Amino acid sequence: MVRRLKHPFPFTARIRAAVEGQAMTYADENRYPTSAPTGWPESYGHDAPRYDAYGWQAPWDAPYSPYAYETHREDADLAALRSAYRLLRRTSTLTALGSFVVYVVLSCYAPALMGSKVTGELSLGMALGVLQLVVTFAAVFWYGRSARRSVDPLARAVREERAVPAGRHAGTAR
Amino acid sequence: MNDFDSGTQALVLVLFTTLVTVTLLMCVMAGPDRDDLANFYTGYLSLTPLKNGLAIAGDYISAATVLSTTGIIALTGYDGYVLAVSTALSLVLLMFLLAEPLRNAGRFTMGDVLARNMPGRAVRIAACLVTLSATLPFLVVQLSGAGSLLTFILDIPHAAGARTASIVIVGTLMIIYAAIGGMRGTALIQMIKIVLLLGTSIVVAALVLKRFDWSPGDILRAAQHGSGAGPAYLQQGLQLGTSTGGRLDFVSLQITVILGVACLPHITMRLYSAQDVPAVRRSMSWAVGTVTTFCLLVIVMGTGAAALVGSRYITAADPHGRTSVLMLPQVLGGAPGSAGATILYSAVAGMVFITLLSSVAGMTLAAASSLAHDLFAHAVRRGQAEPRTEMTVAAWTSVAVGIVAIGLATVVQNWDVGVLTTLAICIGASAVAPALTYSLFWRGFTRTGLLATLYGGAACALLLMVFSRAVSGTPSAVFPHADFDLFPMQSTGLVSIPFGYLAGWLGSRLDHRRRAADSHVQRRLYEESEARLLAAAE
Repeated sequence: MVRRLKHPFPFTARIRAAVEGQAMTYADENRYPTSAPTGWPESYGHDAPRYDAYGWQAPWDAPYSPYAYETHREDADLAALRSAYRLLRRTSTLTALGSFVVYVVLSCYAPALMGSKVTGELSLGMALGVLQLVVTFAAVFWYGRSARRSVDPLARAVREERAVPAGRHAGTAR
Repeated sequence: MNDFDSGTQALVLVLFTTLVTVTLLMCVMAGPDRDDLANFYTGYLSLTPLKNGLAIAGDYISAATVLSTTGIIALTGYDGYVLAVSTALSLVLLMFLLAEPLRNAGRFTMGDVLARNMPGRAVRIAACLVTLSATLPFLVVQLSGAGSLLTFILDIPHAAGARTASIVIVGTLMIIYAAIGGMRGTALIQMIKIVLLLGTSIVVAALVLKRFDWSPGDILRAAQHGSGAGPAYLQQGLQLGTSTGGRLDFVSLQITVILGVACLPHITMRLYSAQDVPAVRRSMSWAVGTVTTFCLLVIVMGTGAAALVGSRYITAADPHGRTSVLMLPQVLGGAPGSAGATILYSAVAGMVFITLLSSVAGMTLAAASSLAHDLFAHAVRRGQAEPRTEMTVAAWTSVAVGIVAIGLATVVQNWDVGVLTTLAICIGASAVAPALTYSLFWRGFTRTGLLATLYGGAACALLLMVFSRAVSGTPSAVFPHADFDLFPMQSTGLVSIPFGYLAGWLGSRLDHRRRAADSHVQRRLYEESEARLLAAAE
């Protein structure tokens, strides 16, 4: 089950990175910095041994570091995808959950308000309940459209960089 | 109890037999090859989004949902409407929050998702135990309901033997579906079920509305009258009371439902069989659309039952109103014995029967898959099992799970075990939901945290449930005459959900402190697999 292949690390990228003297970069969106001190002067020697005279431990992603250029671009794209997904996820989930919680709390603790008649026998509470169900269709449609616009292109970019056929169409790959 | 002549019963029996024959045939034809695991667990990813969406919706709308929700709406009005809304929104939350990363992270079972960054037998065993504790209660409650339901539908006199026989028949069928059909076979049955369910519900709801000249106001007036509750029918509080505690209990129940139902393993399992992320999104759109439509129809049917049947007859047949959906066609179809009444009643009975069969089969399959894949293949054989062996084990665990469920259901058939549904949903919300959200979105999540969430959340839900008012202390409890209701609520979500999340966080903090190296490794594994999680990149 070899599903998590290491990056293919094209040799050309390595040369390009060496020629351009690309600065070593670590995963930039790492919210929980591991052991690498940020701002460490590292503008040279990305092929040098990772254990240097200053005695700091090699960061865990050391094996990737020689291919800084590729890694950097991949990380940037992955970070963009991550934040796009996060935004979409938070907006949609909090809206759905929030509106429902407000609805339930209002039903319980403001019965007079929710019991006020809208038309005929239909009370505000019932109308809101049915409305949530109806709005669900629109919400799902909106979610699909936003995901296609914001997330899918980024995801495609990440997949193509990692140079593996998209998806698991083959079936046997699982 | 139901005033139908032998002709109707014969028609219903013929319909049942036809349904069973057709579904069994389809199951055998669609069954997987003997040594292809991917085929057994995911059906080759060959379903189109529409079909997969229908299958997800079919798994999601269990017999408990159809029968209890209609009953709760018929008896308590507004509280039931809120329940219908939360049931629909739960699947929406699954789609927005978990579906896409779950599809990318998962392979066959929940254990695959949770163990992807934390290999080890403890994780697999915990995942399997929680899967079982969430699916078995649901399975048992539906099977034990099958007994009384079939005797009600076929109007067999209430004898213990008849009910046990019904349970055994339904149980045997469900074992065959799960063991032979695998994921693909059950998907076909779920599709047939959801089409029948939607079709029949649309007809019943339309007949209800037509009876009142398509005027919602008239139905609501009649329902207020029929329920005997008056204006209270359209206000929150009939189900659990309007005291402070009762209202808090109601909020807790709704939050538990919205967080828990869609996380149950037999539903998330369907997501792994989608081809890619756009496909899972489209599948979920179809599923949400179907479920939402059905919830709207349930609201109409439940209100119609209150208006046309009346709560007196509903509670006489079943105190929780679970037979109300079957009593509705008897009123709607015209004179007893007429062709319309017979056909409508048979259609509704068939719909309930196939719903029951397909939902228990789906749950059996989920439990058996977890046993075979997580417990046997990964915990016992450490991932070294031959696919053919694992397939055989999966088939036999389906049989074992089925037999255990049949046994338990027979034992509890005389008790009012509706509380087991609540228990399953509570475990879903307080163990499965935190474990999945942490595992998918928090890179600092560690093995101890995961185990703490799974075991802590499930144990907390289970313990509180045992000491809740749903088990003892109230007239509608499982043991109405005993008194050990130390936890003054009907559902445990208000306490156990925060507990599950807290346990996961504390466990992870502990690992950061005590086993910094391990937690770094796990963080690294998370980050390495992030491209796969978010973009399905290999």
